[in-house]
Amino acid sequence: MAGQYKKVNRGVTLTLWERLYIPEVLRGIMITAGHFFPNLISTAKAYITGKPEQRKIMTIYYPEELPTIPEAYRGRPVLVRGADGKEKCVACGLCEVACPPKCISLTGGMRDDGTRYPTTYTLNGAVCIFCGLCEEACPEEAIVMSHDYQNLCEYDRSLMVYDKEALLIPQEKLTRRLDYIRRRMYSKCNY
Amino acid sequence: MQDNRMDLHTEPLILNMGPSHPATHGTVRFLLKMDGERILHCETEIGYLHRGFEKHCENGTWTQAFPYTDRLNYNSAIQNNVAYALAAEKLLGITDKMPDRCTAVRTIMCELARLADHYTNLGAATLELGALTAFLYFVEARELVWDLIESVCGARLTSNYVRIGGLATDLPEGFDAHVKQVFAKNRELWVEFDKLLTKNRIFLDRMRDTGAISKEDAIAYGFTGPCLRAAGVEYDVRKANPYLLYADLDFDVPVGFTGDNFDRYLIRMEEINQSIRIIEQLLTKLPKGPINVDNPAVRNPSKEAVKSVMESMIHHFKNTIEGIKIPAGEAYVPTEGSNGEVGFYLVSTGGGKPWKCRVRPPCFALTQAMGQMVQGAFLSDIIPTFDMINLIGGECDR
Ligand code: SF4
Ligand code: SF4
Repeated sequence: MAGQYKKVNRGVTLTLWERLYIPEVLRGIMITAGHFFPNLISTAKAYITGKPEQRKIMTIYYPEELPTIPEAYRGRPVLVRGADGKEKCVACGLCEVACPPKCISLTGGMRDDGTRYPTTYTLNGAVCIFCGLCEEACPEEAIVMSHDYQNLCEYDRSLMVYDKEALLIPQEKLTRRLDYIRRRMYSKCNY
Repeated sequence: MQDNRMDLHTEPLILNMGPSHPATHGTVRFLLKMDGERILHCETEIGYLHRGFEKHCENGTWTQAFPYTDRLNYNSAIQNNVAYALAAEKLLGITDKMPDRCTAVRTIMCELARLADHYTNLGAATLELGALTAFLYFVEARELVWDLIESVCGARLTSNYVRIGGLATDLPEGFDAHVKQVFAKNRELWVEFDKLLTKNRIFLDRMRDTGAISKEDAIAYGFTGPCLRAAGVEYDVRKANPYLLYADLDFDVPVGFTGDNFDRYLIRMEEINQSIRIIEQLLTKLPKGPINVDNPAVRNPSKEAVKSVMESMIHHFKNTIEGIKIPAGEAYVPTEGSNGEVGFYLVSTGGGKPWKCRVRPPCFALTQAMGQMVQGAFLSDIIPTFDMINLIGGECDR
């Protein structure tokens, strides 16, 4: 085992120059100015040229500008609508039991062709903690964490209860996340 | 002139600080008995954030506890995830069977969490002492680290990243390059933060020789982590009782002299550098391969297997509905959190739920010494002392 316990250098002694205070204040101002002016100038430049990526400051002007969401991002859980326009969900109920705060409730039914589907599916967005365990539990890739993070809050909690129609998203809109979970999360190569 | 102070009827002032005082990060109340500016007695009241974490865990399956562990020390959520998983894996007896990549990634993520925690702690401490600029520099550094964490596990704070017997996801493509870019910027910010504060006269006056505690008292109170090392005790779980990959890594552990706030500050500053060093070492020799144990009874099998192999399907359903079956017994694994020793004491009766889940939060032990550390000090000394204790309500009150 390399490396060891090392004493910190606590004996910080101030020279007369440093104790004079005024030069130290100036030194501090120099450091902050080193941030302030580049930020100011680059922001002005970006404004004139219309290229926000030139800004040196790390903040962004939300909601006019949106951050880039990483592929792994866990946003609002949604149900996948398959290519045939039907729900992929088979109403097995695994997501319901896997959900730690118990915010999912569903009832299952059978289509005329004998396949199962959820007749009702409710997800209480005010209770959901965005943990992703429902996605991990689902054997059909029918519920996934979308990259949806805007306008999820309401003044009234009852408006945050999503029914099946509000949850169903066509699978073409979820390809980024579906790709990611097939490639990095639940794929064979991880075992 | 005659000194007539003796004739005045004076009595100690009782001052209530908290529960939501702007300068105490964390919901905590100090009941102070003041003689002028001097503190005669300080009583600390905790428990405002109690939400029954341990009982929550006992009511869900073993896997369902992970999102709740995130909410303990939310600055370094992944360390809590790892501590919980290590204790459960010890019960299962699969500690040696964990894939190399899983252990390496866990170590990297633990150190990233330590970085985020120290940046927050030092930044917030300077903010509460009135140095807003320095705070912004470290918050920028922390944002960059959280971007990294977000790109790995999908959330900045509520990571829910580790699973018993594996990890939720693998590292994303291009992680190395992203880390390099972030560390280059963070090193610059560290130097500027250091220049602004370490030799700053006001900062030194507020930090040096305030809130000191002796070696013996620190041990008696059950201190761990940076606050214990500040008092001069050479104890770090990563060295004393290595877990994950820490035994093979080359890193130093800073130790202080007097246990005052300045020592604690210096130790955290140095630990930032050491964490960066650890992550860089690990990234150069990151093993390839699986991140989960190949044991469907412990870790949910892959989705391909669930769809094609009957046994996998059965395990997947049983794991989710009944929970992983962990053999009866009890286990505790100490780990070095950013604030001190974090450990989960788990008791299993062989079922799918923890029978008992007890967490050892580091700042609980630190907070109980507040009264002693500020006794006889000025009212203003509470602020740096409490900052350096780094009480996290979510963890202390559970
Ligand atoms: S993300 Fe977590 S809390 Fe939300 S519905 Fe899925 S399992 Fe439940
Ligand atoms: S786990 Fe998937 S298939 Fe089963 S009920 Fe939930 S969404 Fe439907």
